[in-house]
Amino acid sequence: MGRISQYIWRYWRRYLFGGLCLLGTATLVMWIPWWIREAVRIIEHGGSLSDVTYYAVLIIAAAVVQGFVRTYSRALIFNAGRDVEYDLRNDLFAHLEKLPLSYYHKQRTGDLMSRVINDISAVRVMLGPGVLNFVNAPLYYVYAMALMLSMDVRMTLAAVAPFPLLIYVAHQFRGRIMKSSLEVQQQMSALSSHVQENLSGMHVVKAYAQEDFQAQQFIALNKDYEVKSMEMAKMRGIVNPVMQGINGLTVLIVIWYGGIRVMRGDLLVADIVAFIAYLNVLAWPTAAFGWMLSLVERGRAAMRRLEEILETNPEIRDEAASPAIHALKEGIEFRNVSFAYERQKNGHSALEEINFTLPVGRSVGLVGRVGSGKSTLAQLVPRMFDVSTGAILVDGQDTRKLALRELRRLIGYVPQEPFLFSTSLKANLALGRESYSAEELTRAVEIAKLDRDVEIFPLGLETLVGERGVTLSGGQKQRATLARALIMNPPVLILDDCLSSVDAQTEAEILHGLRAILKEKTCLIISHRISAVREADEILVLDEGKIIERGNHDELVRDGGVYAELFQQQRLSEELEQI
Amino acid sequence: MTEETQQEEVLGKAYDLRLVRRLWYFIIPYKRLFYLSLALLPLQQAFGLAQPYLMKIGIDQYIAGKNLLGLQTVMLCFLAALIGETVAVFAQYYFSMLVAQRCLADLRVAIFSHVQKLPMSYFDRNPVGRLVTRMTTDVDVLQEMFASGVITLASDFVMVIWIFGIMLYLDVKLALVSLALIPPMALAINFFRGKARQTYRQIRVRIARINAYLGEALSGMAVIQLFAREEKTYREFEKLNADHRDAYHLSNLYEAGLYSMVEAAGSVSVGLLLWYGGGEVLHGAIGIGTLVAFKEYIHRFFVPLRDFSQKYTVMQSAMASAERIFQLLDTPLDVTSPKNAVVPKPFRGEVVFDHVSFHYKAGDPVLKGVSFRIAPGEKVAMVGATGSGKTTTIKLLNRSYDIQQGSIKVSGVDVREWDLRALRRHIGVVLQDVFLFSGDVRANLALGDPSIPLERIERAARVANAESFIRRLPEGYDARVRERGSNFSGGQRQLLSLARVLVYQPEILVMDEATSSIDTETEALIQDAMEKVMRDRTCLLIAHRLSTIRNADRIIVLHHGEVREVGSHAELMEKQGIYYRLYQLQYEREELKLASHDTPAQRLA
Ligand SMILES: Nc1ncnc2c1ncn2[C@@H]1O[C@H](COP(=O)(O)OP(=O)(O)OP(=O)(O)O)[C@@H](O)[C@H]1O
Ligand SMILES: Nc1ncnc2c1ncn2[C@@H]1O[C@H](COP(=O)(O)OP(=O)(O)OP(=O)(O)O)[C@@H](O)[C@H]1O
Ligand SMILES: [Mg+2]
Ligand SMILES: [Mg+2]
Repeated sequence: MGRISQYIWRYWRRYLFGGLCLLGTATLVMWIPWWIREAVRIIEHGGSLSDVTYYAVLIIAAAVVQGFVRTYSRALIFNAGRDVEYDLRNDLFAHLEKLPLSYYHKQRTGDLMSRVINDISAVRVMLGPGVLNFVNAPLYYVYAMALMLSMDVRMTLAAVAPFPLLIYVAHQFRGRIMKSSLEVQQQMSALSSHVQENLSGMHVVKAYAQEDFQAQQFIALNKDYEVKSMEMAKMRGIVNPVMQGINGLTVLIVIWYGGIRVMRGDLLVADIVAFIAYLNVLAWPTAAFGWMLSLVERGRAAMRRLEEILETNPEIRDEAASPAIHALKEGIEFRNVSFAYERQKNGHSALEEINFTLPVGRSVGLVGRVGSGKSTLAQLVPRMFDVSTGAILVDGQDTRKLALRELRRLIGYVPQEPFLFSTSLKANLALGRESYSAEELTRAVEIAKLDRDVEIFPLGLETLVGERGVTLSGGQKQRATLARALIMNPPVLILDDCLSSVDAQTEAEILHGLRAILKEKTCLIISHRISAVREADEILVLDEGKIIERGNHDELVRDGGVYAELFQQQRLSEELEQI
Repeated sequence: MTEETQQEEVLGKAYDLRLVRRLWYFIIPYKRLFYLSLALLPLQQAFGLAQPYLMKIGIDQYIAGKNLLGLQTVMLCFLAALIGETVAVFAQYYFSMLVAQRCLADLRVAIFSHVQKLPMSYFDRNPVGRLVTRMTTDVDVLQEMFASGVITLASDFVMVIWIFGIMLYLDVKLALVSLALIPPMALAINFFRGKARQTYRQIRVRIARINAYLGEALSGMAVIQLFAREEKTYREFEKLNADHRDAYHLSNLYEAGLYSMVEAAGSVSVGLLLWYGGGEVLHGAIGIGTLVAFKEYIHRFFVPLRDFSQKYTVMQSAMASAERIFQLLDTPLDVTSPKNAVVPKPFRGEVVFDHVSFHYKAGDPVLKGVSFRIAPGEKVAMVGATGSGKTTTIKLLNRSYDIQQGSIKVSGVDVREWDLRALRRHIGVVLQDVFLFSGDVRANLALGDPSIPLERIERAARVANAESFIRRLPEGYDARVRERGSNFSGGQRQLLSLARVLVYQPEILVMDEATSSIDTETEALIQDAMEKVMRDRTCLLIAHRLSTIRNADRIIVLHHGEVREVGSHAELMEKQGIYYRLYQLQYEREELKLASHDTPAQRLA
């Protein structure tokens, strides 16, 4: 609960002021029965009408003032709940932005979404209506008790005799409600994860006629959710009426015991009426007590799930004194780099003992079989993952000692799997750059050979591309991500198989355009095609995470290893076609 | 944000009654339970209302008359009423929640199933996050409606009428004075109503936006981080978040105002009662017990009214959600099996495109009068520049979209007449956009059919050359696949999706760039292995690398959405058209490059 109080603390003024207003409201609420009692007493004794009128006016005036103060206090506290929700959601998002890729590989998007939306909203309910009742209930109790005590001590004690029962019931249900809430929230997450995944894979679902199977899975999860929610509802259903019943019991005691005393002549009917009025005032907080119990427990369960995110350490983050780098001077060096993914921790690694240098202005080509570790290697440079052992040096400095943002801004990265955001094409291209000139944009678009496509689009660069760029063709997406990296004009370019979905002619044109740029840049080029890497200053051949051959194209072809074989094969297949 | 979001904002006025009727449709299966819970309401109220009445008798008759025995009897009745009320309240809540949970579960399934049938074009326009909101958060708001006891609204109303009746019966004038505030209150409530609804609509739109944005940001987090976009993204998110908060600030104010007004009105009414009723008692027109009972009735009158004001806001919010949900459920299913769908038997793997024209957006044609025929068992390759419409052709073939002109026939029957499911069962597509589900490798390959023997899966994996790396995973075929297959390399994912189609064993095999991320060596192995699989199947292959399509019988060249050339490799080479040029380019590139640029060796020298 430590974290929650931090948030409440942030708005302490509002909570305090809201609390004071509640105190004011409660005061007025409490005086009204008192005045009623006075009025009834006058009536009972056959007093003057003007005295009755006096109290009646007091009551009405108090009611009106109370109306305003109450509006204000409720709005204030509920809004504070919303503000905490807002802060918490922002903070979560900011935290999520810091978490490394490896975290996202373990988490399901729908689950995270559910936490950021549904769990936060449960916390909000705890902090808005929950806090309101939390303040209100004791206030009402203390007030009512004080006033009742001032009227008659024995009677009061008799009236509140059932209250310990209240506490007992609350205690009994607390833990269970918490557990049940947690289960409901978890199941909600499972449900949204399934929906989220189903929807993002809709093209596959349709192509493979998987609708029924997906629905079956959904129905099972949904059923679970229904059962768990019902469990929760059952508890809510028991607690509330029991609380109300206990309140009714106090009324009963007052009439019974009070009646006996009236008969004995040491109490007035007016006292009974006033007592009942006070107990009526307590009816709502008492009932709300049960309700609050479920809100608070649910909020705590939700908060626990949020804390799971907030307490995840961003493993990849800036070290304390990270020097800023603005340009690459010497180059990039991999020194004895090994890396293993989590699931590989005890098996073999994705990369082993990688050593090479990429001097500034030069280029390194990476080839190798499927799953040999090329993308992994590339992702280590911008620290999407941290090396397990060894180090990657930029200008002689360990990348782990550099400011993350600066490091990443040095690099234009074209990932293997294109990802675009559902905004305009233009906004996507400008992702890495706040400001750029029109020429820069045109140039990048031209080099990536996106110009012809843009020409055809009725909206040109303003075309909306849909989520992940679904409304573009495979090649268009890929070229858009290339243009996106080019427009950044970074000193380092990493191209991960970035022309795989592009036809031969366009590829040739792009490579031609790129060639001029690549000369000024430091590049790491990954490809399955010799054509894309053959001009690199050094070509590394990866196999099962190890460098098995290195050298430039001519050397490698001459040495007659794996690369040479690959080269022959690609030529051969091309020659084959000629026949 | 897509255009749809704006549309949501101007959503027309939907009538609550109609919404409630549609919700009712989901309650019908649980009608009995529902009626049971309704039947408990009067019981619960009778027990509740008996209490002040018993109190009145106790005070007026027995306490005043000093009759202890009478008081005890009355109090025992009171206790019975109390217990009765508690039990009835629980039972009522329990049954109504049972109805709620069940019918909302049904509603969720209905939405989910409906969404499964929506045409692909819908998903092009609607962010995933928004649809997730409809199925989760929006339905939860409806649940809140049930939980807060909105169905008791009607009975609250009945209760209020009852109390009013009793009060009138006890004393007409007193009753009228006590409830003098009702008419102005009704006006005020009406005012809040309009306001509240508007804000709740806004809130629904805004929460959906947050969800959509969030979903996208989370799935593109790698890109956000790579491009150091965290701050900018955060600011955008914060803005959406603030919009959402602001809408609620407004609604909170309305809610607080409404609640406090009703609460205040209750006390004012008591004041009025004392002022007028006090006089009456003093004149001896009524007994003091009547006054006390009236006070109690006013209390009981305003409690449901106050609850009503709260339920009312919940109701408004629920209606705003229901609007969204039914709007989604009303989205027409453009692409569905016709009434008397055909499943041609025996199936012939023949595909005919006849003057097919298609556009995603009006005025932006993608395919223009495309015609071709693929004979059963024929292997046809489709080549063309990027964006020329190859993938689109495939999406039309399995009817992910409907064409605007022409016809597409599979096995001699127009795809629009086919049973959709059967059609897609016959056509296996390796999609260009690889997608794996989270789960394990085996489930991904078998795609939901647990009856497929492991052997068939293994055979497919072998052909797709996926076996070697699957075997090397510690858990083999049971290895965990993370969302979208993020724990596999790009090429591995492609191999898995290729293996998946082979397990599917379709009559028509379509491969869209199925080996684009695969190395040459592996690709060659796959091609050899595939030869046998492809032998007696109709195949449509799309590839940019001409080497990939070397065993195609015929080649279709698509250019800007038109079929430009059709023929065998040799024929097309002879024709010296687009294919010829493409071919020359790919083949000669190696030579060209060596000639026109310095080799690294030269540069070093
Ligand atoms: N869902 C969509 N909504 C709108 N336009 C689309 C959609 N999908 C594709 N397009 C557009 O239709 C055209 C053809 O796209 P298609 O995906 O068929 O190309 P392709 O030939 O497969 O290209 P590639 O080789 O790059 O995969 C492109 O201009 C593309 O932008
Ligand atoms: N997130 C991950 N968790 C666990 N293992 C992973 C993860 N990502 C990749 N791997 C494994 O690490 C190895 C190297 O993957 P990587 O993506 O670097 O290959 P690649 O050389 O880029 O292959 P491709 O040519 O197919 O893109 C593969 O065996 C892959 O299964
Ligand atoms: Mg890769
Ligand atoms: Mg395509």
